[in-house]
Amino acid sequence: MNHNSALSLAQDLIFLEAEHLDQKNWDAWLDLYTEDAVFWMPTWINESQTTTQPETELNLLYLKGRSHLEDRIYRLKTDDSFASVPSARTVHLVSNVRLAQTEESHLTVKANWMVHSYGIHGALNRGGYYDYKLRKINGELKIAFKKVTMIDDKLIGPVDVFHV
Amino acid sequence: MNSKALDELIVDGKDGFKVHRSIYTDEEIFQLEMEHIFEKSWVYVAHESQIKHHGDYFSTTIGRQPIFVVRLSNGEIAGHLNACAHRASMLVPLESGNAKAIRCRFHGWTFHLNGQCLVVKNEDTGAYSNQNFKQENVLTPLPKLQSYRGFIFASLSSEVPSLEDWLCGTKDWIDCLVDQSPEGLEIVKGSSTYTLFGNWKLQAENGVDGYHVSTVHRVFASTIANREGKHQLKDLGQTEAGRITGQVPSGSYDFGHGHMGIWTERSKPQAHPLWLEKERIDREFSQEKAQWMLFRTRNLFMFPNAFLMDNPSTQIRTMRPLSANVCEVTVRCIAPVGESVQARSARLRKFEDFYLTTGMATSDDLAALESVQEGGRASLAPWNHFARGVGAVHHKGEGELMMSEHAPEHTTQNWDHEVIYHGFYRTWRSLIQKGLTA
Repeated sequence: MNHNSALSLAQDLIFLEAEHLDQKNWDAWLDLYTEDAVFWMPTWINESQTTTQPETELNLLYLKGRSHLEDRIYRLKTDDSFASVPSARTVHLVSNVRLAQTEESHLTVKANWMVHSYGIHGALNRGGYYDYKLRKINGELKIAFKKVTMIDDKLIGPVDVFHV
Repeated sequence: MNSKALDELIVDGKDGFKVHRSIYTDEEIFQLEMEHIFEKSWVYVAHESQIKHHGDYFSTTIGRQPIFVVRLSNGEIAGHLNACAHRASMLVPLESGNAKAIRCRFHGWTFHLNGQCLVVKNEDTGAYSNQNFKQENVLTPLPKLQSYRGFIFASLSSEVPSLEDWLCGTKDWIDCLVDQSPEGLEIVKGSSTYTLFGNWKLQAENGVDGYHVSTVHRVFASTIANREGKHQLKDLGQTEAGRITGQVPSGSYDFGHGHMGIWTERSKPQAHPLWLEKERIDREFSQEKAQWMLFRTRNLFMFPNAFLMDNPSTQIRTMRPLSANVCEVTVRCIAPVGESVQARSARLRKFEDFYLTTGMATSDDLAALESVQEGGRASLAPWNHFARGVGAVHHKGEGELMMSEHAPEHTTQNWDHEVIYHGFYRTWRSLIQKGLTA
């Protein structure tokens, strides 16, 4: 696969993920992930550094395996979560997508994101960086790893998987 | 606000216990709380593991006032106002860092970590009238600064009881956590801060509110039940949820001085990371203390600004009230030093599941408290009621007591009893009254 077609495939997947999250197509969103996918959002340890050892340091999110992503969706679907009813509307703007590494089995991709949300706190903007590992399975790309670095620190309101 | 008007905000008598909703929204009351409670009492400021080495500092606030604590070369801890003795620029600009001396970034005055003034920039051309200029411009030390088993407390007033007396029976619960490792506790790397658009007392109530758990957190319990139904999870991989569904014995403690505690039996003690240490705990501690450490969850509110919790995971949560309607809250994982990677990892995953606003429970608490703050504007019905448990109180010396001589003021045998707030609000009122009549 040449660079441009790999980048284009990666971009299609990342943009599709953004669409599923914004449209709250939860099951379609889960389908984008591999069984063993890791979704990681570290905490900040000071003004310039985040945690780097997710096993033994504190994370905002460290969901190991798609089943943990499913937990989040299970909770959202119950409509019994105080934080999630009413739920915020979101729009993901993903840009600066670049291919960091192309291998036979997977692509390593970086991107920047901003999510504008509107909910009980009014309009909020959060932003940061994505680091993805996309794995080729039967000719199709799936998300095997997603790291979200959210530059915002003191958080306002609940922050769930679809807010970032 | 005079003393009589304050008195009328709390109804504490035969007709039950009610607090006037204006105490959560009135900025005048907020200023009184800062002046007479936060800036006149012992408050928790940091854990010693955050300033382990010479020059390590940690900056925070006591009430409205910026302060920092720092480790001196002799291992002792000093604490100062975080404001230059000269013209008040903050001396320590970061939350934490290391400095062997502190140089003000505004006019370059430099201070020893013990507060002594070392350099007044261009002192020789200053034409100061006073020969002892430097000696008179030292950093203002915190009037009281003392640790209890690694937890650093300070007070902006020297007119406070001894720290030991102030902490009273809470020390037993603190010990139950500290004794989980022979090397004590440490703050795990990383933290999360969130802004609560609500009054600090709502957060104070919530951390020891057993009554909301079976409604607000039933979705957490059902999510965990769903997870554990689909996957074969054992021991540390499981999560304590029996207390949420109310299947276990529980209780509440009013420790005095506004400190409150709730406890429950653990429905799955083997899910707790400390279970790996059971043999040592059983060997080293009395049967009663081991019972409290291994088989019970404990939420402790250390009046007026911090929680220490040992339930599915372990945390210290601090509050920084910013106004009547806004409070900043920081959550940190506190864990036994030297525990296995397996235990630490399990502790953190349970922490992340529950305690963060990115998690599946604290996020719901935050939304609930903000809803209360908004609902509290309905001042046509001005009272909040704390009536549960009034008929079930065991006074000092009756019923089940803690494991030491520190008898709590009262206890009940149900964690959803609201009578624990009576002690909190009586302390709240008496400290403000004391300030108003001084």
